[in-house]
Amino acid sequence: MPGEWATYGVPMPLDYPIHERTLGNGLRVVISPDHSIPTVTVNLWVNVGSRHEVAGRTGFAHLFEHLMFQGSRSVASGEHFSALMARGARLNATTWFDRTNYFETVPVGVLDLALWLEADRHGYLLDAVNQTNLDNQRDVVKEEKRQRYDNVPYGNALRDIYATIFPEGHPYHHPTIGSMADLDAASVEDVHAFFATHYRPDNTVLTLVGDIDPEDGFARVERYFGQLPRTDGTSRANLGHLPPLTEPAREVVIGEVPNNRLHFAFRLPVEGDSDFLAADLALEALGGLSMSRLVRRLVRSEQVANSVQAHAMGFVDGVSLGLIVVDIATDADPEYVESALLEELTAFLDSGPTPEEMEAALAQSERAWLQALGSQEERADLISHHALLHGRPGYINDLLDDLSAVTAEDVTRVARTWLNPSARAVVAYLTLENVEAA
Amino acid sequence: MTVIARPEVTPAARWAFPQPTTSSLSNGLTVHTFDLPGQYVVALRLIVPLSVRSEPRESEGVASLMTRLLDEGTLEHDTEEFTELLERKGVAFGAGLSDGGLHVDVDAPASRLADALALMVAAIARPSFPAEQVRRLVRTRLAEIEQERASAPHRAARELAATFFHPDERAARPTAGSAETVSGLTREDVESFHATHVGPAGATLIVSGDLSGIDLDTLLAESFGSWTPGPRALPPEAEVPRRADDAVRIVLVDRPDSVQSEIVVAGPGPDRHVKPAWAPYPVLGFVMGGSPNARVDAVLREEKGYTYGMRSGFRPRRAGGMFVTSGSVRTEVTADALTILLEILASGDAGFTAKELADGVDFIVDTAPGRFATADAVAEEAAASILDGLPLDFTTTNLDRMRTLTTADLEAAYARYVTGEWTIVIVGDASAYADAIRALGQRVDVVPN
Repeated sequence: MPGEWATYGVPMPLDYPIHERTLGNGLRVVISPDHSIPTVTVNLWVNVGSRHEVAGRTGFAHLFEHLMFQGSRSVASGEHFSALMARGARLNATTWFDRTNYFETVPVGVLDLALWLEADRHGYLLDAVNQTNLDNQRDVVKEEKRQRYDNVPYGNALRDIYATIFPEGHPYHHPTIGSMADLDAASVEDVHAFFATHYRPDNTVLTLVGDIDPEDGFARVERYFGQLPRTDGTSRANLGHLPPLTEPAREVVIGEVPNNRLHFAFRLPVEGDSDFLAADLALEALGGLSMSRLVRRLVRSEQVANSVQAHAMGFVDGVSLGLIVVDIATDADPEYVESALLEELTAFLDSGPTPEEMEAALAQSERAWLQALGSQEERADLISHHALLHGRPGYINDLLDDLSAVTAEDVTRVARTWLNPSARAVVAYLTLENVEAA
Repeated sequence: MTVIARPEVTPAARWAFPQPTTSSLSNGLTVHTFDLPGQYVVALRLIVPLSVRSEPRESEGVASLMTRLLDEGTLEHDTEEFTELLERKGVAFGAGLSDGGLHVDVDAPASRLADALALMVAAIARPSFPAEQVRRLVRTRLAEIEQERASAPHRAARELAATFFHPDERAARPTAGSAETVSGLTREDVESFHATHVGPAGATLIVSGDLSGIDLDTLLAESFGSWTPGPRALPPEAEVPRRADDAVRIVLVDRPDSVQSEIVVAGPGPDRHVKPAWAPYPVLGFVMGGSPNARVDAVLREEKGYTYGMRSGFRPRRAGGMFVTSGSVRTEVTADALTILLEILASGDAGFTAKELADGVDFIVDTAPGRFATADAVAEEAAASILDGLPLDFTTTNLDRMRTLTTADLEAAYARYVTGEWTIVIVGDASAYADAIRALGQRVDVVPN
């Protein structure tokens, strides 16, 4: 039942402390003390991702992120990793459509070093960038692309989905990893221009979660980041909303895959819109749960699928993405599976989720959210996420309330708009046995 | 603009893994409880000692199939009802097999603990193994075998086990069974394996999370208290699996047109009971191949740009273990990458520096508080100790021991296992590098994917 978790043993609404301050150069700083263990997570989100890449330079935001580990004004190449790991830090960085994040969890006695290292590269990366570093990391990123996408069955399915459901030229039309040709084209001049445009204190959020008091934390951040110059530049506003597809789109890829697999994609409302939460619950009820109707029918009852997965991916630039992925059983007919799925989808649009589906979708979301917040690292990442992209650093305390306010009627209404069969894009990965049939 | 000097670091204080409250139920079940304030989702981990070596040769995979069927229905609730009960209560259910036994993993909000325990005990004690779900999961395993064949790291792991271990060893064959042994499995096979091998005696339950206001003793009595011990076959004593007589060779698994080669280089390693101590082995893994600046990636990634990253590590089993280095390189550089990798692995003979020792120890010791900060991570670590037959203070005593290591300890530990007698598997386009690999002078076999 919506709101039922208000009776749990968890403080509701959640009450993780949130302290926020903006430095003179525009850097937004959020601090959430947690003294349960003697570590601090430093988490930075920069408002730049593959959505900001220009034609001919796909994959650049991610290649740039690699260069952030290759030295800066006072830090040698590779030293960011080695200096912190040798002091008991776990660290990394990731690039995605909407943003790039950098993070480390360190013993409290290493916090100053971590802030100093981050400030050096976020302020003075360009002092160290050179052709050798760029060429080396270009090779590393190309191996990453081969390892994670090109040499993996179905590894390029998401790339094909983005290209099928988002229009040419849209920021989400191409994947974050980019193309080999564009990686080859990247130059040191591109690195300089990209840094100047996007790596600005006023385009960045820094979050500390852990064994630190707010005033102490703000003073330390000020010490290392306060001297970074405010730089010129603005980031463009998010694009306007894309409507659902008006007719189905389709891409068929025949190749060396072990099973036929169908990917059903839908445009969704942007993250931050309450209709996005309703779409998320709709996909969960349809195919994200073990008890969901698609798993029940296709996997357990008719046994024409090995698995069904469904989830929503939230983005901010005018559209999000809903996905249902069906791995088809060896002897089953993909056409039949698609028709059965559309039949279930149509029935869902007609009558909406059952009370049991709503209850389960909410209960599973609640557990997943509480589990994520149980980790300092993930809590810091979620704080930065909502501070940077939505201006809501305290959203971690509010999501469950927003979710519990979504009604079955909301789910039905949103599903009818966004999950209509005619608004689907299908990317079919078929085995070589389908060559003659195609 | 003033340049701020690099700040000094203050050392972390000694830290200890949390110690549980321990009790036992009259049916023989041991319960370890970790009360962790603020961890609102409770992690439950049930461990039942069990070995795939107990499976009949012709039905290998039956233990895994049984494990996967636990949440597919109980004597009280059919598949659909049980699935719905779990999900409406916000419970996540998982189960798997490791070298030391069967583990059932349940996560649920603390307020749902009573429901979670009741569903968990029903799944382990009274599963119904519906015939149509048995048939489905047999087919799912057959599909999974094909999916693993299509994935280079999985394909490499399968070939490594078959090449490394003596063919008479169960460890040489897939834990979840092969197509020949799985195809004919029936619900009777599964039911009988469960009845013979799964019971509360010798089993352990770990409860980890924020337990404030919860009367756990009562909840346990009402749930796991009902699990009745039956006649049960105990698992065989742990034994170090023998290596194959011809394990020292190179196997090329041929995948024409592959854009990368997955390289695995493996030799014997210790289990965590090793004397004088396990402590040097995680440090050695870190120094050789545990970071972008470790010996392997400093050259193959950061200098040569051949790989996104290769990793080295000692992988302990319940008895015995392996030292494994693995990762992908682009096809054209396969032979060169292997040559360099083998030189780097041999470089341990020449010793380790004081800085390598200090960096490795500090990384592992000082990341521990953060690595074991969640209910889930604490439960997993405790479960790993129990599955390996280790005491629950092992994590702490091992970290303490690590702080006392010398470079001589590292050298002795490395020399004891790393003799250069490698089993090597490469999954990729063999035609591109088979001749160059043969020129290395070792026995080379090419097998189809």
